[in-house]
Amino acid sequence: MDWGKVKFFLGEVLRNFTRNAGMQATAIGTVAITIVLLGAFLFVRATLAGLGNDILNQIEISVYFTNDASTHQEDAVRAALSKDPRVASVAFVSKQAGLKELRAETHGVIDTSLLTENPLPDKFRVRVHDPASVQNVALAIRKMSGVANVVYPQTIVARLLQLGSVLRRVGIVVIAVFLLVAGIIISNTIRLTVFARRREISIMQLVGATNMYIRAPFICEGFLDGLIGSVIAIGLLTAARFMLWPKLVLALPWIQLNASTVHAPALVAELILTGAAIGILSSWISVGRHLRT
Amino acid sequence: MISVRNVSLTYPNGVRALDNVSLEIGKGDFVFLVGHSGTGKSSLLRLLYHETVPTSGEITVDGIRVDRLKRGRIPALRRHLGVVFQDYKLLNDKTVWENVAFAMQVTGAHTKDIMRQVPRALDLVGLSHKSRMFPGELSGGEAQRTAIARALVNNPKLLLCDEPTGNLDPSNTTEIMELLLRINVKGTTVVVATHNQAVVDRMRRRVVRLEDGKIVTDEERGYYYLGLGQGQVLSG
Repeated sequence: MDWGKVKFFLGEVLRNFTRNAGMQATAIGTVAITIVLLGAFLFVRATLAGLGNDILNQIEISVYFTNDASTHQEDAVRAALSKDPRVASVAFVSKQAGLKELRAETHGVIDTSLLTENPLPDKFRVRVHDPASVQNVALAIRKMSGVANVVYPQTIVARLLQLGSVLRRVGIVVIAVFLLVAGIIISNTIRLTVFARRREISIMQLVGATNMYIRAPFICEGFLDGLIGSVIAIGLLTAARFMLWPKLVLALPWIQLNASTVHAPALVAELILTGAAIGILSSWISVGRHLRT
Repeated sequence: MISVRNVSLTYPNGVRALDNVSLEIGKGDFVFLVGHSGTGKSSLLRLLYHETVPTSGEITVDGIRVDRLKRGRIPALRRHLGVVFQDYKLLNDKTVWENVAFAMQVTGAHTKDIMRQVPRALDLVGLSHKSRMFPGELSGGEAQRTAIARALVNNPKLLLCDEPTGNLDPSNTTEIMELLLRINVKGTTVVVATHNQAVVDRMRRRVVRLEDGKIVTDEERGYYYLGLGQGQVLSG
């Protein structure tokens, strides 16, 4: 290891970085704002997706049998469902148990004691692994013999699935716009520092420095802009998570917001990597443009 | 060392800087390129270190086909030669020592080699005692000597000088020329573009004269001829 080389290189990076402190602050600020917006957006998106998933995961398919369905037919349906890889669980609810449940749910508003016979059919409660497969599973069950009807909250499933895909698509566009804006601003910052050092660069080229060598300090500079900006952003986001989020949850009691679906370490890592990547990429591009002319 | 064959150079704005120029310069030669401003001296030098590419013709420098050089190979060419300019092109926020070392550092040289070669180059140009000074604290002659030390620190076989004494008074000019001669004696090929008549006439070296982008005379032990009419020749 040639420490003289390392020292020279780091010295160059540090000198650049501190010389254009104003510009660096602008670039870092832009990255920070972008990453805050991006982070907040990802957080909200994850929360909403979590909310949707919670609802979707609780969705059950109720399978009602005809009154004259035999135990044999019911067993056959159960066996078929247990074999289906899409199905998570199958629970049998007998006529009697169904009536009991109804009593409990209605809290005596419906007086079941007036019933002379139990009108409820036997049913299965089926849960699936992937909410997207609810519809197909339901259709398959409907065709089985002895099955009278299959009921599931069709519109909710459809809406939530649609919401999920809209969120994903909008998300991609929004993220792309954020990153593009940050990239443009960093690359302009780097271009200004390249311009300020054009004399130095021309001398480097004159004495035979490779483009890679000339690029390296600028790439480091962009990397530092991105890194520092995203670390600041994560500081702000963390503060918001613990100071503003609880207030928001309290302010919107009718929505069951649950931040626990957000995997914080992964999000932090994503944001830092994104910040650093924008920094590196945009400085790479702007120095490259200078070197080619 | 240098072979230029039928080289023409037309700039994008239509100006024809060089017109079918051919020139051979051997190893260890000392050559003056003379002529009025805008006759193509600097353009010819720029072609040699691949700052511009010729419109047509072949250029070979130290065995490298410069006219066909790929972008990625330019640094390798530049490490074979040193270039000195009228305006020195020093970095003002670096000391003399750092300016010279810079030329080695940016080519990824080992610190050990830098510590050995920078003092040697500074010693050659007689600036060892000013190595801690900044360019702003130097005289023009000292600044140019620093630039020459930087051009020489990588031990190039060829030194290209574009008006090296253009900003200097006569005594500094003499000093720089003597230095270039010393460098040449040590075996480095030196090419100097200048319109300093006194220098050329006193040194009596090979003189290549350009006019309107063409080589009009090429003489061993020549004179400058500046300001003389057609057909007039100074006797030596």
